[in-house]
Amino acid sequence: MKKKLRIYFPFASNELKRQMAYKGAFYLFIFISLFSSFIQYFLWMAIYGSSGDGILGNLTRNEMIVYVFMVYVTSSMVMITISDWVSTDVVEGMIAMNLIKPMDYRISLISRALGQAIYRFLVPGVFIWIGLEIYKVKVLGMQVTGIVNILLYLLSCIMSFLICVLFDFCFGMVAFFTTYIFGMLMAKEALISFLTGQLIPLSFFPGAVQKVFDFLPFSSMVYTPVMIYLGKYNQSQLGFVLARQAAWVVILYVLGSIIWKQVTKRLVVLGG
Amino acid sequence: MIEVKHVSKEFVSPKKYPGLKGAVKGLFSNEKVVKKAVDDISFSIADGEIVGYIGSNGAGKSTTIKMMTGILKPTQGQCLINGIDPSRARKDNAQNIGVVFGQRTQLWWDLPLSESFTILKEVYNVSDEEYEERMKFLNEVLGLPEFFSSPVRTLSLGQRMRADLGAALLHNPKVLYLDEPTIGLDLVVKDNIRKAIKIINEKYQTTVILTTHDIGDIEELCSRIIIIDEGKKIYDGSLEELKDTYGTRRKVSMEVKKQEKLKGLNLAEKLGASHEECRMEFDEENKILSVTFDKHKLQVPQVMNAVMEVTEVKDIQIQETELAEIVKEIYNHGIDGKAV
Repeated sequence: MKKKLRIYFPFASNELKRQMAYKGAFYLFIFISLFSSFIQYFLWMAIYGSSGDGILGNLTRNEMIVYVFMVYVTSSMVMITISDWVSTDVVEGMIAMNLIKPMDYRISLISRALGQAIYRFLVPGVFIWIGLEIYKVKVLGMQVTGIVNILLYLLSCIMSFLICVLFDFCFGMVAFFTTYIFGMLMAKEALISFLTGQLIPLSFFPGAVQKVFDFLPFSSMVYTPVMIYLGKYNQSQLGFVLARQAAWVVILYVLGSIIWKQVTKRLVVLGG
Repeated sequence: MIEVKHVSKEFVSPKKYPGLKGAVKGLFSNEKVVKKAVDDISFSIADGEIVGYIGSNGAGKSTTIKMMTGILKPTQGQCLINGIDPSRARKDNAQNIGVVFGQRTQLWWDLPLSESFTILKEVYNVSDEEYEERMKFLNEVLGLPEFFSSPVRTLSLGQRMRADLGAALLHNPKVLYLDEPTIGLDLVVKDNIRKAIKIINEKYQTTVILTTHDIGDIEELCSRIIIIDEGKKIYDGSLEELKDTYGTRRKVSMEVKKQEKLKGLNLAEKLGASHEECRMEFDEENKILSVTFDKHKLQVPQVMNAVMEVTEVKDIQIQETELAEIVKEIYNHGIDGKAV
């Protein structure tokens, strides 16, 4: 285990360094995604303002503000698109260079993703999080989130991260069959922002649809940790959603292993 | 010890049709085209050998290398690298091999070269002392220090190739695969790379398998060559043997003083050889008579004497058939053509 950590740790730390090497792109990313968060914020404020109810979809107006920004913090941290890296490796034929080394391709990708996740947690995640907490207490007059909730939220985030990258690895395998996956990547992003609750909290959907969402891995990606943070689950529900996350980690891991085995059997290396 | 046993590799791809109409048709058709890239190849290579693996473009060289390194799985047959089957135990095999693909890099593009080496040190589990010792050797042979702290993307092709070779050798592999290691390099760098390969082979008894289109690489490095064509092995043996068997022609070029005197001269008849075994060509402009003949049948002095009997000769040049010529002929006609 220790040896394994030693092998894959450099992938994480190198991704961190690489991210810092391309600062411009990163700040642009922060700006654009924060921008869309603010659009959402103003949209929701308008909706709450025009509807007479104080509570929509089980969320109060103040909780919705927390929801919108915590979704931003969470998703920028856990949703790392490794399928993009897989696709690049396939298109450029670099997949061969990964296979000549005594290492697991998937674990090396996840390690890289971890490096990126850590970076995104540090900039801008933590700052927006702290800013949000201050705003919550000073302006909205809510209580500071308890330490237990924060710890459970972080635990849930770790599993969310694993679910996201393991799912995205399976998705990235499509690149081996179609070579380019840019179009599918766009479709996936759109679908996922809907299914994970990034766009609209899942509690807004009718009961039957919510039941379906419960059976999909997407609700475990962003919605679950944010709801934990908001303290929306009671003790037994909490146990259930965390167990469900753990189950998805296992299922997606096994699924990824099976697909990878099939893929390497019929692998074609592009470009000589 | 490398054993390759009856290995074949087929690629299946959807059938493509020409034109826009064809593209639409392709959307609905499910026809497949099977291409046999490697067809029943067997050979074995002993430890410490340097083997040149050559063939024309698309002959299946790289595919074979990829099967031996565990990147691709053979459709049929088996490779055993020191007893390990790379298609089953890819990671175990990877620990013992080094690979350089001349057209790609295994280094981290955005990071300084030194970072790549630190990662590889961990990936291959190289201890600190070993690392120190290897780096000292590699620095000496490949001259890495001058660009060790530059980002890989800023390296010149020659520097990058040296760095890649160093990266492949960091963990002291038993087998080194080089897929066109000198592609696109200038003469000096080429020479350095060849020297480095030679030193490594001698010092560590590393088995080297080399594919290349550069005849110089083969002549300088390889004791043995394997030629494949259209996925089939067509020659396996020593370099001398190949030259001996197929490079039987010699060419003598003579600059003569009086060309008129050559008229009516038939060397083949005079020396008792068939027309195939002794051919004459005359370059009117430079007054050069070239005679190409079978070296097993005729000797150089014989030919020279026969010409000098007729006219005075100012200058003589004798050429062996070059390996490049032999290889070119084999690519063109296959080994049976024996048109050399």
